[in-house]
Amino acid sequence: MNSTSVLLTSMSVQMKQTFARNMFKFTLFVGPFLITVILGEMFKHSTADNFVAYVVLGSGLWNLWNCIAFSSAGDINRERYNNTLSIIFSAPADFRLILLGKILGNTLLALCSFFLSVFFATVFYRHPIIVTNWPLLIMSLLLAILAFIIMSIFIAYLLTLSRKTAIYMNCLEIPVALICGFVFPIENLPQGVQFISWIFPPTWAVRLIRLSVTETTYGLLENFVPLIITSVIFVILATLLYRIIFKQVKVLGTLDMA
Amino acid sequence: MPIIEVKDLSRDYVINEGVFKKKMKVIHAVKNISFSVEKGEVFGLLGQNGAGKTTTIKMLITMLAPTSGTCKVLGYDTFGQERMIRTRINFVFGGEYGLYRRLSARDNLKYFANLYKLPKGTRDNRIDELLKLVDLTDRADTRVETFSKGMTQRVQIARGLINNPEVLFMDEPTIGLDPVGAETLRKTIVDVNKLGTTVLLTTHNMYEADELCNRIAIIKEGEIITLDTPANIKKKLAKKTSFTIEVEGNSANIKDKMQSMEELSGVSITEKDVMTLEDAYLQLVKGSNEK
Ligand SMILES: Nc1ncnc2c1ncn2[C@@H]1O[C@H](COP(=O)(O)OP(=O)(O)O)[C@@H](O)[C@H]1O
Ligand SMILES: [Mg+2]
Repeated sequence: MNSTSVLLTSMSVQMKQTFARNMFKFTLFVGPFLITVILGEMFKHSTADNFVAYVVLGSGLWNLWNCIAFSSAGDINRERYNNTLSIIFSAPADFRLILLGKILGNTLLALCSFFLSVFFATVFYRHPIIVTNWPLLIMSLLLAILAFIIMSIFIAYLLTLSRKTAIYMNCLEIPVALICGFVFPIENLPQGVQFISWIFPPTWAVRLIRLSVTETTYGLLENFVPLIITSVIFVILATLLYRIIFKQVKVLGTLDMA
Repeated sequence: MPIIEVKDLSRDYVINEGVFKKKMKVIHAVKNISFSVEKGEVFGLLGQNGAGKTTTIKMLITMLAPTSGTCKVLGYDTFGQERMIRTRINFVFGGEYGLYRRLSARDNLKYFANLYKLPKGTRDNRIDELLKLVDLTDRADTRVETFSKGMTQRVQIARGLINNPEVLFMDEPTIGLDPVGAETLRKTIVDVNKLGTTVLLTTHNMYEADELCNRIAIIKEGEIITLDTPANIKKKLAKKTSFTIEVEGNSANIKDKMQSMEELSGVSITEKDVMTLEDAYLQLVKGSNEK
């Protein structure tokens, strides 16, 4: 009961606070449009033939990832500058629940962005939307969101520990989108980079999503199993990381700007 | 058992200096301080900017780990036994930060009430009570970003009292407040203390410390240089006694007359305390570290 209320209020505070920010409105509304146009033009000049897979879902996923992971990352630092981070950290409520609430709040907002991307892609390029397997699409989208949430938790913990991480994070936005194959299949990447792709749960979730809009029916298990395994690994890593940050944050004194 | 027990407490910060060639530097922010605070006291930490007041408070409120020494609140270690302490204490930092500025005062208080696990039934009543206490009932539902400094500060105070803490830590709570606002806050502190809350506060304002605190520790460059009641601190440093001389009638050449010590009739001499706490403080902070 108490945990739920911590989770829910963190979520609602996060959404109210975020929605009042102009930059976020930009990420939410203008971002989907820009990314859709860029991917749409890339698609026209490429040999790829599945519009839904590469433009509609590509821009949708990219935006989803942006809104969940990067907003959550930015928020930690905003709260650090605003001196609320140290206060919520020192409150009796479990800090993990507070962060999870924030990430879930961002996820809800991110879904708006996802649907906007899909809407732009459909309206501007007027391609018919062909989905061969709706149940698979919906299930794999849910799994992708779960994978994003897990990654965001991991990133949020790292950011709580150090303010410098935020700078690196901002440089990672595009590489991560590419490495996880949001835009084009990871098979187009150099072999060495593909190994990196395999570590991240979103890579497998994205491949599952693509399967659902193409004719192929094989390869389900080959993607599903690694998705579960990598997700579990990240959950375990995040749990261990939390034990470390809970202490280190106080040893290093990085919770506020003083 | 003292409510707050600090023994040989130290805290260092390690910082990187330089842009290209990084150099590690250690700042000794708090050096081997010891003091204890009993239940029901108002205890003051006085010191210049950078003396180590905020660092000490942060260690006490489970926000920062000590580098060495003991730091106990309510009998528990502030680093390692946070869980036992956090529901029973709260803190207020001066300044405009520390609130969600895009939310209303009420929404801020609701959020923190939930983080402090107030039961739903009592939560809304408590918030109304506190809004009334800090005189913000009329503006409760406007965004904090539209508030003046003083109003923002009052929301912070309400936040600090949300869980009816047994110990309240206040870091320069009246900073940025106008004299009337500061006076009101001092009254609130007295009231809260009367209801049983132990208070530890830091301040620059000597008048405030003198008025509010049962005991004061003056801290300089991370070390406590004096710890006593305001009255004793003043007494200890007052080496001279001054006289106020009121002269009836003709005051011309009074100096000469005094020097010659003649005709003292018509002159009334009253003994007065020349040392204010401010004088004592300045003498301590500027002068040699005599204890
Ligand atoms: N996070 C930090 N990193 C590095 N140095 C710090 C940090 N916080 C405080 N200091 C340094 O520690 C000393 C004490 O600071 P502080 O406790 O804030 O003093 P006060 O509150 O009395 O003004 C100062 O020299 C300050 O620069
Ligand atoms: Mg300070």
